[in-house]
Amino acid sequence: MIPIVRRIVAARVPDRATADDLVQETLARVLAAVERIEPGMVEPYAIVTARNVVATMWRDQDRQRRHQHRVVDLRPPELPDEDVLAQEDRHAMAEALTRLSERERDTLLAHEVSGQDTHSLAAELGSTAGAVAAQLNRTRARLRVEYLLAADRVEPPTERCRPVLLALSSGDRRRQREVDAARHLLECELCARLSEPLMGRGRSRDDEVRVAVRVDADVVAARQAARELAARLGFASTDLTEVATAVSEIVRNIVRFADAGEVLVELLDSPRRGIRITARDSGPGIPDVQEALREGYSTYRGLGLGLPGARRLMDEFAVASEPGRGTTVTMTKWREAG
Amino acid sequence: MPGPRLFSILRQGSCLIASIHTALDDSQLLRFQQDLVETIGRDRARGVVIDVAALDVLDSFATSTLRDIGEMARLRGAATVVVGIQPEVAIAMVRLGLRTGVLETALDLEEGLARVDGRLAGAADGRRDR
Ligand SMILES: [Zn+2]
Repeated sequence: MIPIVRRIVAARVPDRATADDLVQETLARVLAAVERIEPGMVEPYAIVTARNVVATMWRDQDRQRRHQHRVVDLRPPELPDEDVLAQEDRHAMAEALTRLSERERDTLLAHEVSGQDTHSLAAELGSTAGAVAAQLNRTRARLRVEYLLAADRVEPPTERCRPVLLALSSGDRRRQREVDAARHLLECELCARLSEPLMGRGRSRDDEVRVAVRVDADVVAARQAARELAARLGFASTDLTEVATAVSEIVRNIVRFADAGEVLVELLDSPRRGIRITARDSGPGIPDVQEALREGYSTYRGLGLGLPGARRLMDEFAVASEPGRGTTVTMTKWREAG
Repeated sequence: MPGPRLFSILRQGSCLIASIHTALDDSQLLRFQQDLVETIGRDRARGVVIDVAALDVLDSFATSTLRDIGEMARLRGAATVVVGIQPEVAIAMVRLGLRTGVLETALDLEEGLARVDGRLAGAADGRRDR
């Protein structure tokens, strides 16, 4: 990911020291958002963030130039920017609220402004507290999207924009996949720009580890991360080595056949304790998964090599692959028998 | 090479002792292979003991790299013994469906050296008999 970010920034910013600062800034923002975006989207997000960071720098420089000009002119200062911003902010929020349905708006205001709790809201609405809470989350996510659109005074250029922005805003990874947010962010300038304020800072979790995969060394990093996390569950050393070996087999495919990907290692509590590894890439995909999975297919050197071996080492194993779009391998080892 | 050494290749008599010091990625394994095969040729070594005790896994790539080394060494007239395969690594290899194939293995360095010496002595006897 870092080389791509460097390339993007260097292509736009000739000064080396400034470029380095902007690369650092980009990486910091990506790291802050990484918990809230699905693995396949880290790279597209890094790309649009790099562009945003560069654009912000140009804007700031431009503003400074205007201010310098003003100082030379000795003109009286204008209204402080903050007041203008606050006015625009309120206007945008009011506009965003009008774009919610009446029921969404009333429920949200009752909860956020009047402080009505979800139980009494549920009673009024003939619903459950859980459903109301979920609906409130969706409404907040929509409000953030509509607020940003209103503040920017833009209408999304395509029909896909709102679903994508909503999926980002709610931090719903499954939905982000369904609407193919990763691809849209690369194609749509508006959504790319708005993605950044929508992602924000996510909470960090200590029961999962992500490893970005690009080069050979990342394969070792991924298998060691899996081993270390699994060790916390008290797996036997034989199991730890089997997990590490399976990760090595699977992740090698990303380096060989896809440009980049990511490995997510998670500790599971239910249905019982275990470790799940999800290896995802945006590579060419495996044309024939069944062929690649065939037992004893040891001379196979194409896409999906090592899949049968890894499957034998793990308790559960699934491959989803779409030609031209990428491959996701999900595999689990349980700590105790089911 | 900056940082700690990834592997070392030491000469002992007509043998080479090649020790891997840490987990290696695929390109590092290939560099190990290249360095070792070059050293075998340069030093006219007759036996090679490869110590893999520090490798965290022996996956399909590492295993085939070791097999390739054994084969290349054989073509240059050297016998290869792999030592230090940890029990859990061996179990994972078997479940993965990997075999070391023609590659000879021994428990530890001492036994590996004895094995290589034996092979060399056997080969020398064979030549005398001819
Ligand atoms: Zn869009």
